[in-house]
Amino acid sequence: MDTLGIFLQIIFWGLYAGCIYILLATGLNLIFGVMKIVNFAHGEFLMIGAYITATVFFLTGINPYLIILLSMLALIGIGAVIERFCFRPILGTGKLNEIFLSIGLIYIFQNGAAMIWGDSWQSVKSPYDGITVPVGSLSVPLDYILIMLFTAVILCGLYLFLKKTTIGMQMRATSQNRKGAMLVGINVERIDIISFGLGCALAAAGGTLWVVSGQVFNPYMGSIPAVKAFAIIILGGLGSIPGAIIGGLLMGLAENGAAVLLGGIWKDAISFVILIVALVVRPTGLFGEKGE
Amino acid sequence: MYFNRDELAKYGMIATLAIAVVIPFLTDSMFILNLLVLMLIFIIFASSWNLLAYSGQGSLGHAAFFGIGAYASTLIAAQSGITPFVTIFIGAAVAAFIGILIGLTCVRLKEWFLAMVTFGFAIIVQTLTVSVLAPVTGGWDGLSSPRLLSPSIPGYQLIEYYAILVITIASIAAIWYIMKSRIGLAFLAIRENELEARAAGLDPVRYRLLAFAFSAYIAGVAGALEIHHIGYLTPELYGVDNSFWPITYVILGGLGTLAGPVVGTVVLTVIWEGLKATGLTFGRYVIVGVILILAIIFLPRGLVSLPEQVQEWLKRRRRKEPLPEPVGD
Amino acid sequence: MKYSTLVIAVLLVAAALIAGCSQQQATTQQPSAASSQGIIKVGVIASLTGPASNVGNSMWQSAQVAADKINSDGGVTLKDGSKAQIKLIVGDDESTQQGGQTAATKLITDDKVDILVGGYSSAVTSAYEQTIAEYKVPYIVTGASSPIITHRTDIDTSYIFHHCPTTDSYGQYTTTFIDQVLRSALDKKFSFAADRPIRLALLYQDTAFGKGVQTAVNNTITNNKLNIQLVAQQSFKMGESDFRTQLTLIKAANPDAVYLAAFPNEGAPIITQARRDIGLNTIFLNVENNDNAQFYKDLGQYGEGAIIESRFSPYVAPTGAVADAQSTFKQSYFTKFRTYPDMMGASTYEGVFIGAQAIGNAGTTDKTAVRQALVALKMPQVIEAMKDKTISFSPDYRESSFDLWMEQLSYNATIGETRPAIVWPDNLKTSDFTLPSWYVAGSSS
Repeated sequence: MDTLGIFLQIIFWGLYAGCIYILLATGLNLIFGVMKIVNFAHGEFLMIGAYITATVFFLTGINPYLIILLSMLALIGIGAVIERFCFRPILGTGKLNEIFLSIGLIYIFQNGAAMIWGDSWQSVKSPYDGITVPVGSLSVPLDYILIMLFTAVILCGLYLFLKKTTIGMQMRATSQNRKGAMLVGINVERIDIISFGLGCALAAAGGTLWVVSGQVFNPYMGSIPAVKAFAIIILGGLGSIPGAIIGGLLMGLAENGAAVLLGGIWKDAISFVILIVALVVRPTGLFGEKGE
Repeated sequence: MYFNRDELAKYGMIATLAIAVVIPFLTDSMFILNLLVLMLIFIIFASSWNLLAYSGQGSLGHAAFFGIGAYASTLIAAQSGITPFVTIFIGAAVAAFIGILIGLTCVRLKEWFLAMVTFGFAIIVQTLTVSVLAPVTGGWDGLSSPRLLSPSIPGYQLIEYYAILVITIASIAAIWYIMKSRIGLAFLAIRENELEARAAGLDPVRYRLLAFAFSAYIAGVAGALEIHHIGYLTPELYGVDNSFWPITYVILGGLGTLAGPVVGTVVLTVIWEGLKATGLTFGRYVIVGVILILAIIFLPRGLVSLPEQVQEWLKRRRRKEPLPEPVGD
Repeated sequence: MKYSTLVIAVLLVAAALIAGCSQQQATTQQPSAASSQGIIKVGVIASLTGPASNVGNSMWQSAQVAADKINSDGGVTLKDGSKAQIKLIVGDDESTQQGGQTAATKLITDDKVDILVGGYSSAVTSAYEQTIAEYKVPYIVTGASSPIITHRTDIDTSYIFHHCPTTDSYGQYTTTFIDQVLRSALDKKFSFAADRPIRLALLYQDTAFGKGVQTAVNNTITNNKLNIQLVAQQSFKMGESDFRTQLTLIKAANPDAVYLAAFPNEGAPIITQARRDIGLNTIFLNVENNDNAQFYKDLGQYGEGAIIESRFSPYVAPTGAVADAQSTFKQSYFTKFRTYPDMMGASTYEGVFIGAQAIGNAGTTDKTAVRQALVALKMPQVIEAMKDKTISFSPDYRESSFDLWMEQLSYNATIGETRPAIVWPDNLKTSDFTLPSWYVAGSSS
């Protein structure tokens, strides 16, 4: 294989791995945009989505790709409950309180999941396991293509929802100016709950796609992807979906480069080195005038 | 019935101290003594985190300073043969120095960017420890650490307990002194309103760095104490667990108060060991998570405000007044 | 500030602590009173919570199965002819150093156990070794794979016995297999020149475990002057799920075989990604801890041809008496817990038996006598194959020697998974090592 081929291959895998990050980061962006809250426990929703998918699949044996709807719906519900009973009471008491609260949520979700589903690594076999599709010089598993398609469809759906529906427009209005939105009669508390639920649903979609691609999962799988998704949205710009996609892809490349050149242990550290350097240069985030 | 606050504080402090002094004589269990030692160390650690939070900066990676103090003190003690009682304070200075460096990158950041940076910083320090610094630190294998006191000294556990108790009291006194001094007032002013503080002639960057240095120093002392107590040092010390526990303790006890970290650490340790005795495993963490969230929502000033709130509530009930709407905005 | 009220809280808490202490003592006093009536207290240190809880639970449950077996067979015979029953007490190390130290101190000083078994993470175990050294309680480590556990010189490790192969043994054993078996298969199929070195690539977890294996492989090659060339050494972070970049570079180095120092949740994705996504069609050698049912399930068809160094497998046992003992253990474990034990469970099961045997030999629970009995121990192997079919601890570092074996996996289309067969060494093997038809040998071009 020539160098260009290897490079293209790495880009492709970066894209595939980036899908999960992009879904997480978009969800975080949505929640942050509307409510300005920081939920470090966002990765736990990814994990719950993964377990719901696996459980339904083990029980019914239906095509795991179809379960994505169910896991998204379930997480809208769970997200709404968390928003209503955990975050709403402390809304406006400061970012630190939200971060501390999410630490509590991490304890509860990770260990609750370990109590319900056990703590061992599990995996699911996709019905399309073993089928590959030629893409240029590569032969790519069908599952990866499906995952990219699903991510694209979900993101397009979200875009249309935000642009075309009344609720979507209300969400955008709330994120641009909360007080103004209140003044024109938008029920911002309802918008909060919907945004939080949607953000969680995006994480759940990520969890489902994680599972169907045959990746192993356990109750602790969500924490690091969530923190990295935060790093990506800080880098890529709060509220910017293209920024999150490019940021996620660049992060993936940097990580793989560091793992090979400096040693595997650098894979997590390099994200934070980049983040710190970026914040030293621009303390508000790379594209970050917006948002806060 | 009315309490005189200041008097009660005085008596309460004396009583707490008295209990801390006599408790080893009430039990002959080495398990409890060991637990108390670890608890004291975490009181110091939680207090150091609390000091930084007092200045308005919430760190999610305090294990970094905990670990740097431990490594520095161990390496100095092992190389020079100086007693750990001295190297603890030298090692902590290294933690303080690194604290200033990381503080420099953090001082201009929004609070949750700062949380991300400190979280990442702990991971970076761990990575450096096992890669570039491995020839010195022993990498993943770790290295053995000189004990605080040789086990050959009869009753050394008791001496160790009292030594650590003295260091704990000294640390809390130092934090009290900082909080009461002009520096502490400046921390508070900058936390509450940076613009006004600036207008009053305070330099926020300088004070934030000071807070980082003090906090990292005390966290370094705690880390060094723990590792000289345990006797072996591995990079797992930088783990997320060690960053999250002090936060949990302080939030439950009372953020920004002197007694908060003490109360929180003691209460949670007792709850934790009690739950362990019942045979719960993952359930313990779920319960701690629920307690933490309930405390944040319903007791935002922590357990230390509990008696006051109860008193308030009783007073209102006596006057048959309705409870005020919770002031959460 | 409202110190007054806080102080009340402190007082309450302190009172609660004292109450807690006295209660704890009250509950632990009873068993120690009973110990004179023929009860042997075995402390099991396991990670019941935290990242290692998966293995920890298997260890704790295996210990329970062992105690049930010993007790239902009548217990342990002591010097005075009386029979003693085994009573297990578990200590959760929470997968942390503080947790480990608290658990060990509690078991030793409060529960006053006669002997200790267990220990998984080497980092956690090292945190309470000094407590063991100080109280001189015999401790049979059945899970930690780092040789450092008994090689430390800063404390007295003479009461610590290591019943579990170390990264040194994994690396040495697998490298020898490559040098002998893989080399002859390669030479036969491709008629290589006699002096052609074997091109080996390493992909290891960047932790004490992975680096331990890396060091062992390098040492084995250097010390024995083996004609093996390490063409690539790549590492990854613990818990990683995407290995494609490392695998691409390994493929570019054209290896004859790839040795993976990984956990099962990493090993299965590595092989799948290598075979399916990268097209790296070579022999993958795995460390023993991968030999569990979930690994075969995750691997599916891609496991074909892969090698696992092992001592306890869900699907295969060496011919002979050990096979029956293993299946009996798996059966009683399944009856009790509705699941199957893993490898660390197997050695912990044996650890309880070793402890019981040593106490029986000593005829007393006196710790010095039990240590002497462990040093002199020569007991027949229990469920795992041992060197000379005997469990005994080496005089230098008190490590037992396992008779490890190599398994090769072959695909079974009806179950959709691979199944292992033992291919080496000759005294245990059930089948021969073969190079799969799709295998591509490395080349230096």
